[in-house]
Amino acid sequence: LRTLPILAAVFALAASTSLARAAGPDSLVPFNEQEHREVLAGKKGQVVLFNFWATWCAPCRVEMPHLVELAGKHGSKGFRLVTVSADEAEDKDAALNLLREHGVPGPAFIKSVADDDAFINAIHENWSGALPALFLYDREGKLAEMWVGETSTAVIQAAIEKLL
Amino acid sequence: VKSVEGEEVPYSELAGDVTVITFVATKCPISNDYNERMKSIYADYHPKSVKFVFINSNKAELAPEVKEHMASHGFQFAVYKDDGNVVADLFGASVTPESYVVKGGKIVYHGRIDDARKGPVTEHSLRNALDATLAGKAPAKAQTKAFGCTIKRVSES
Repeated sequence: LRTLPILAAVFALAASTSLARAAGPDSLVPFNEQEHREVLAGKKGQVVLFNFWATWCAPCRVEMPHLVELAGKHGSKGFRLVTVSADEAEDKDAALNLLREHGVPGPAFIKSVADDDAFINAIHENWSGALPALFLYDREGKLAEMWVGETSTAVIQAAIEKLL
Repeated sequence: VKSVEGEEVPYSELAGDVTVITFVATKCPISNDYNERMKSIYADYHPKSVKFVFINSNKAELAPEVKEHMASHGFQFAVYKDDGNVVADLFGASVTPESYVVKGGKIVYHGRIDDARKGPVTEHSLRNALDATLAGKAPAKAQTKAFGCTIKRVSES
């Protein structure tokens, strides 16, 4: 009889763990300039927020759960969060673990480019490469907002809601 | 800028014929990955009469922290505090680490130190720019970009 509550706890833990895993991405997809164009084209009709982040970027880690919350709140209205890790390939597992911890919805990408300089310029010529960087596109795939550095969630939310 | 002791240092005192201004941070992992490379570039180009000005413009990284960081990493050069990010605003610097090469009052190079934070470096961007400038030529690349940490300014909440 004593084992029953323990078993129940074990099952509950297993269920919550699998749920948390199910909410995060299974893998990180390589991402380059062309992928950026293709993802944008494929999501026409939706409001898309590209989040460029890295495991070494402290404000990015702070921002992530807020972005996940916005994705959950506005997903049904056509808002999509797309994360692109700027981590080096050797930090891929750490990046994936962080996305899983926060239950970040897919698709999840990791930059895979020959030259960061060309990649950064292709995303936006006025972007220095500083992280975090957010790029918000309207339903037509046109850039509506660009935020570099720490940005208030209220500001991001207001801009998303304006486009939905 | 101010020294870590809090004394005002005019830019005219720091600048030379060729000057490298590099925005750095104490906490940014990318900036810290370049500590040894910055020391090595300083060691190679300071004897060639290149002046170096390292600047910390982050609002939360105060002079005592910058002083401790300089000492703990054995920097053979000074890092100056840019209170109110005035110098960062003047240069339009937004990321650490980020370098500017100035010759004759003009920015001849702006950007990364090299093209690989961790992996093998294939382009020594800052060294190439310095070699060209010292040879009296324009750097092949006047601007490059790399991922780094945002400079946290006083104007931000």
